[in-house]
Amino acid sequence: MKKIRGLMILTAILFLTGGCSGAIQSEDDSEAYRELFAMDTVMSVRAWGDQAEAAVEEAAAEIHHLDTLLSVGNPSGEVGQINRNGSGTLSEDVRLLTERSLALWEETDGAFDITVYPLMQLWGFTGDHPAVPQEDAIRETVQLCGSDKLIFQDGILTLGKGQGIDFGGIAKGYAGDRIMTILQQHGVDSAVISLGGNVQCLGRKTDGSLWRCGITDPDHPQESDRFLGIIQTEDRAVVTSGGYERFFQEDGKTYHHIMNIRTGYPAETGLRSVTIISSEGLLADGLSTACFVMGETDAVAFWRQHRSAFDMILLTEDDRLLVTAGIGNDFSSERPFTVISD
Amino acid sequence: MMKNKKSLRRDIVLILCLLTAGLLICLTVWLFSGKGGTVVVRVGGTVVGEYSLYETRTLTLQGTGGTNLLRIQNGQAWIEDADCPDGLCIRTGKISRQGQSIICLPHQLVVEVQGVTSGNEIDINVK
Repeated sequence: MKKIRGLMILTAILFLTGGCSGAIQSEDDSEAYRELFAMDTVMSVRAWGDQAEAAVEEAAAEIHHLDTLLSVGNPSGEVGQINRNGSGTLSEDVRLLTERSLALWEETDGAFDITVYPLMQLWGFTGDHPAVPQEDAIRETVQLCGSDKLIFQDGILTLGKGQGIDFGGIAKGYAGDRIMTILQQHGVDSAVISLGGNVQCLGRKTDGSLWRCGITDPDHPQESDRFLGIIQTEDRAVVTSGGYERFFQEDGKTYHHIMNIRTGYPAETGLRSVTIISSEGLLADGLSTACFVMGETDAVAFWRQHRSAFDMILLTEDDRLLVTAGIGNDFSSERPFTVISD
Repeated sequence: MMKNKKSLRRDIVLILCLLTAGLLICLTVWLFSGKGGTVVVRVGGTVVGEYSLYETRTLTLQGTGGTNLLRIQNGQAWIEDADCPDGLCIRTGKISRQGQSIICLPHQLVVEVQGVTSGNEIDINVK
């Protein structure tokens, strides 16, 4: 009898303590988190691992280092100096970015171009008060642009007359890649970062499931539970470009910050948002801008040529949602969408 | 035998009490984890305050180089006034859902809603 009594009480106690253990999360690894302000935006790095704290610390230092190096607004930074002097000997980081930018410029038939800087200045997107410039000023500035006028030889970059460069289209993507390397060097195998909305994840979540990345709906940019869709992924960068990110209105018309270097005006190609999914942050960042400038037809053709390198999600002006075949199974949305295959 | 019966009844009462206590604790934990909406305030990446989303408050937040007036009421939080140059934080409007945030870049201020459960949860937002 005593035995049964003891057993029953033990069961009750087990139930009492066990029932609540679900609310207490088990933690195998320690988590580290940093939020910082750099590259004119807010960034977050979250990582799990024994050395997560040191890893995140080093990642933050790298972001600040790249920010100083690449900022067009910092006259003493490397890019600032090149723009002021018209030429410069490149450091390791800027050399790599220049080489990749020129390759992207060629592959995308000029849709991605770092010489867009004078146009960004003319439109005021580098400052706080953007406005529509005079038409002849736009025409003159367009003449200055073009990566074909850049000379890159023996580690020295020389700009054409009146030119300026801006790595803004790939800087955050490159920073993401650098952070992934740093985290891995510290033995981190699970991490997720957001560099002003550019997302990159390392491995899977600590519970073994895929990361759920919610893509902002241009119709509801502030609502955190209404998305264009959710992509489930691992070891990928997910980057979106859209006209809704930075824009101004003048005379009832909206002007966004993604420039078509050939016309000198914001790119109007029938797309509202382009999301690129790639294992490389730099590529995802650069292609999100390039594919936005290309428009639907050219972007889809470009994907067909490079389908092993990236996947994409397009939202058109007429509200069609298109997803390329490589991520067809990993994407979900409350909207109807079409999967593009060969 | 009589004594045994009495003690068995006492045992059952004791077990029932323990079970009830267990249920109550679990219920409390479940309730709090479900509706524990908080507003987390960070300046320059450092948490400077956490407030319940369900308690009405007006807070003057000292950001980097300026102040923002945060109002929390009826499960919503918003910036009522600020001396930043762009005023984007005011125009962001009201936030109430998990992961939503108000960002004031000039003041390096982030106000974020945490701990509100919804059916459509994500790990990170691509913007």
